[in-house]
Amino acid sequence: MTEYAVRITRLQYTYPDGTKALEGIDLDVRTGERVALVGPSGAGKSTLLLHLNGVLTGAGTVRILGKALDGGDLREIRRQVGMVFQDPNDQLFCPTVFEDVAFGPLNLGIPQGEIPARVDKALRDVGLEQSMRYRSSHHLSLGERKRAAFAAVLVMEPAILALDEPTGNLDPRNRRHLIELVGGLPATLLLATHDLEMALSLCQRLVVMDRGKIWADGDARALLSDSRLMEEHGLEVPLSLRGH
Amino acid sequence: MHIPDGFLSNRVAVAFDAISGVGILLSARRVKLEASARAVPMMGVLAAFVFAAQMLNFPVLGGTSGHLVGGALLAIILGPVPAVLTMATVIIAQALFLQDGGLIALGANIFNIGGVTAFSGYAVFRLLWRNDGGGRRLTVAAFAAGWISMVLSAAGCAVELAVSGAIPLRLGLPAMVGYHALIGIAEGGLTASVLAFLARVRPDLIETPRRVKLGAGEWAGAFIFVAIPLLILALAGSSSLPDPLQKLIEPGSAPSAKAGDAQALFSTLRLWEYSWEFAALVAVIFLVFLAGRIVHGGKAHR
Amino acid sequence: MKHSFIDRYAALDSPLHLLDARTKLLGFTVLIGAVLLVPPGKPFAFFAYFFLTAALMGISQVPLTFVVARTLVILPFVLLAGLALPWRTGDGWTLFSTLLLRSTLSLILLILLTNTTRFAELLRGLRKLGCPRILAMNLGFLYRYLFVLTEEVMRMRQARDCRRVGSARPRAEMKLLGSMLGTLLLRSFERAERMYQAMLSRGSSGDFPILAPRRFSWRDPAFLAGLGLFIWMAEFLT
Repeated sequence: MTEYAVRITRLQYTYPDGTKALEGIDLDVRTGERVALVGPSGAGKSTLLLHLNGVLTGAGTVRILGKALDGGDLREIRRQVGMVFQDPNDQLFCPTVFEDVAFGPLNLGIPQGEIPARVDKALRDVGLEQSMRYRSSHHLSLGERKRAAFAAVLVMEPAILALDEPTGNLDPRNRRHLIELVGGLPATLLLATHDLEMALSLCQRLVVMDRGKIWADGDARALLSDSRLMEEHGLEVPLSLRGH
Repeated sequence: MHIPDGFLSNRVAVAFDAISGVGILLSARRVKLEASARAVPMMGVLAAFVFAAQMLNFPVLGGTSGHLVGGALLAIILGPVPAVLTMATVIIAQALFLQDGGLIALGANIFNIGGVTAFSGYAVFRLLWRNDGGGRRLTVAAFAAGWISMVLSAAGCAVELAVSGAIPLRLGLPAMVGYHALIGIAEGGLTASVLAFLARVRPDLIETPRRVKLGAGEWAGAFIFVAIPLLILALAGSSSLPDPLQKLIEPGSAPSAKAGDAQALFSTLRLWEYSWEFAALVAVIFLVFLAGRIVHGGKAHR
Repeated sequence: MKHSFIDRYAALDSPLHLLDARTKLLGFTVLIGAVLLVPPGKPFAFFAYFFLTAALMGISQVPLTFVVARTLVILPFVLLAGLALPWRTGDGWTLFSTLLLRSTLSLILLILLTNTTRFAELLRGLRKLGCPRILAMNLGFLYRYLFVLTEEVMRMRQARDCRRVGSARPRAEMKLLGSMLGTLLLRSFERAERMYQAMLSRGSSGDFPILAPRRFSWRDPAFLAGLGLFIWMAEFLT
């Protein structure tokens, strides 16, 4: 097992219309580490995550589990990096939930006989009932859709999880469930979020991004308590850390 | 405008099923060859967009309301071949979900609402628009594209019904073309305003001359979907018609021929033998397209 | 938000629902074709098909009111076509009743086909019967994103209604609608882009893998055989 799950060196990315999204990002994440990526909207958090599995390619190097992205087998890397996007509607595009969850394994060439068992396990892990299998995702509530999208990624048993705003728009109960779910997973975690309380409860390390650059990288608790740092980058000190 | 089952004679319905079937297979292969991975989610979502957009109604004159059909719009944005495929998806979905338009009549409906609108709309737009950033020109070209796409496809529909013996041209043509000339105003207006919006926000999406190469497919499509209907329209408008054709447009020919009668199928559609005027008309149409191509040829290459 | 206009009765459990999608696609298409091929002036054949359709309707458990409501949509066409018939020669009634029966029966059969089959199954059946992959994928995406877009459309409509003051002037209305459609279009593009990224992230290279076929039981050949027999009888014995 490699020591570093993710090694990013001098990553730069410019959108086709000319806007600079990432300007020289250096980030190393150890295997099993949990890192929260915080910063104001437009900081480049989502863009950075998309570089982890080669969906976007910028200048600089990205090594996942020791392998460089430009050399390697993208399919295998995409199995190892489980990317969960912000809007579940973008990830649930098959006629039924079952097919959505099975989509990943099928693409990876897992034998058809094994797939139903895997899908069922993934659905159970995220707390969705068996009866949901053959329903179409538009019949699910937002919380259920988020869980289904999660299952569609977990089913591939990724070593690294890249989550983009997993608790966005969720009601408190669903949010709690999701935090518990993520907390129980052994994978290396990169969590881009505005939910600073969640960042605090799940991650030990915090990275502050703003305008395409990293401005701070260190202990989550310490950085989140630094009110000047927080305000400079459009954030604020989480409630649980105030007044202590 | 979606024709239900039972109105077209079987020979007409099956003929169009064949034409549209081949058209779809060729379009599918064409799209596959060019960047399919990205194009497919795009077409699927746009198909959903057209379907959903048809739910946004717009009041036209007194109780009726119109909605965007979208063939011309899609062709201007995607190019005519992907547009046909996308519209075909919408029409099939409308038949399956809403039973809007029949099953056996799918070929004819795809031809009219997918093929004719996309190609005629695109042709008109391409002929009228020059990429010089002029806003007014865009509006005019888009409006014309939308309007003509409606009128021509209505004409095609009327002709199919007439050849089937269901509704004679005397009645069908004025009714359908007249109604759609009116509805076409909404189509033209909406096509223009959507494109105007896009020109402000994402002008890169409308640079069709730069992105759509006019290949064999486009020309074939233009001929089949635009030149032939125009031809037939001209036919219908002319005062002296050859006898066999005259018989076709009399009311009362029973909608009952068997589909297996291929001989009969071709005998009624053998229009090109009739008169040199038709050949001349076809030649003129081709020349117009050629002229448009030459005029834009210089601008198409950067 | 309910979107019941498409799939409402597809999840029932009648004998028709249990048939494989391919069987239904083939069977109903052939049946519709047979109805359309009946020449005018053969009332017994029509009666036979009418009873078969009614029987199928009953077996399918799809509510009568639903079927009737959907069928009424066809009336304007029938009336328009009826205007053009040669009433004076007396053939009018035969032709009119032929037209009415053909269009109504084929519409009801189509309604039955689509309301006894879940769309996912229908797509899979189409694909196995040779439908081009791109078309099937498009249909699948359309089905899925129709609901997402419908929600967006409804929200946009509400937002528009909240901000509308006074009577709508056509030109302003058109411009507003243009912006709404344009926005919807752009959002569709962006969603398609994100969807493509999500597909890539799950190992896809743009293709849509199809899961193994489900059941194909004794019912399927039995249904097709029964239909074939019926049609043969209707054609040759009347």
